Amino acid sequence: MAAELRLMIPTNESVEPDDRQLVRTIRNGDAEAFEQLVRRKTSKVFSLCYRIIGNAEDAKDISQLVFLKLWENIDKYDPAYAFDTWLYRMVTNVAIDFMRNKQSRENAVNSNLRLVKTSSDAEQGVIVQRKEIDNVFNVVSSVLSPKQKAIFIMREMDDLASAEIARILGCRESTVRNHLFNARKLMQQQLKKRFPEYSRLWEERA
Amino acid sequence: MIACQSFRANLQSREPEVLEHLRKCDACLDFAVRKDPDLFFRAIGGEELVPPGGIDAFAADVMAQVRLRQAEGSVARRFLVPPRRLAAAAALIVAVGISALVYDGGRRTVAVRPVSVATFKPLTTKPVVETYQSPNATIVEVPSEGKGEAQVVMIFDDSLPADL
Repeated sequence: MAAELRLMIPTNESVEPDDRQLVRTIRNGDAEAFEQLVRRKTSKVFSLCYRIIGNAEDAKDISQLVFLKLWENIDKYDPAYAFDTWLYRMVTNVAIDFMRNKQSRENAVNSNLRLVKTSSDAEQGVIVQRKEIDNVFNVVSSVLSPKQKAIFIMREMDDLASAEIARILGCRESTVRNHLFNARKLMQQQLKKRFPEYSRLWEERA
Repeated sequence: MIACQSFRANLQSREPEVLEHLRKCDACLDFAVRKDPDLFFRAIGGEELVPPGGIDAFAADVMAQVRLRQAEGSVARRFLVPPRRLAAAAALIVAVGISALVYDGGRRTVAVRPVSVATFKPLTTKPVVETYQSPNATIVEVPSEGKGEAQVVMIFDDSLPADL
């Protein structure tokens, strides 16, 4: 009986505080707990920032800004909701603001400089190259509004459900679906213009 | 990771293992995109990226800024009055102002009395002249009207001090 009981007692190794427990500790002024949270969430935050912004250095700065905002506003987190939802909301708000302010002409010009492949190239069969998709996405998604882009990334790359995205952005699920529909449409138009070799994939389906 | 055949039979699924396969198997990526081009961009998701310099350096940068802000915050707390104290101070100032106004209003209703007191005071400080002797002085004594009246005496003398 005693042996069975011993098995039920969790060891120190298995006890890793969850996000809510960490937040509780941080609220008591524990900076080490905050560092633990930063390490835990860095990849998630940076990945989303990078995909929205498309530039590693800016994404790093924005990610740091997100964590500083997190530190300053930790008291506003409502534990009734998932911590990641709150975190994603902060990330998308900061990244979207950044994109709205930054959408510089330089980026637009650079993205237009990409040589469009000739139709003869497009006629040939294309093998989808994984490395190329990143570049294609960066170019093609430049026509999306920051909000459309954020929604598309959360849905297609972070695999979040529309309902979850709606919760993050504080909007209706139908709004999320509309943004997704428009984003896909705009990106297909851009693919046709700049990457005809890939746009043929959609045309073949049609 | 699930087998290629399982993946190809479940292309539309958003189950994590199906997405994982899409994101790792190049042959299936090409196959999937031809079947459903919407999977094209879905293929680049899933992967968690690391900021330039790594997570350790990133976390250290963040914590340095947090400590800096903590230090700035404690300095600011020392010099800046918190809102509650500010409100209390404002309330105190208002209370003092109102009571001063009320007090001032009260004083105005009895304004005559202090004025008369003020005129008497210098007189009481003046020395009372009881005797005066001078070879060049002319002394005029005003006759009093009754017993209780003050005695008025006028002294005319060039050598008399001006502030007497």
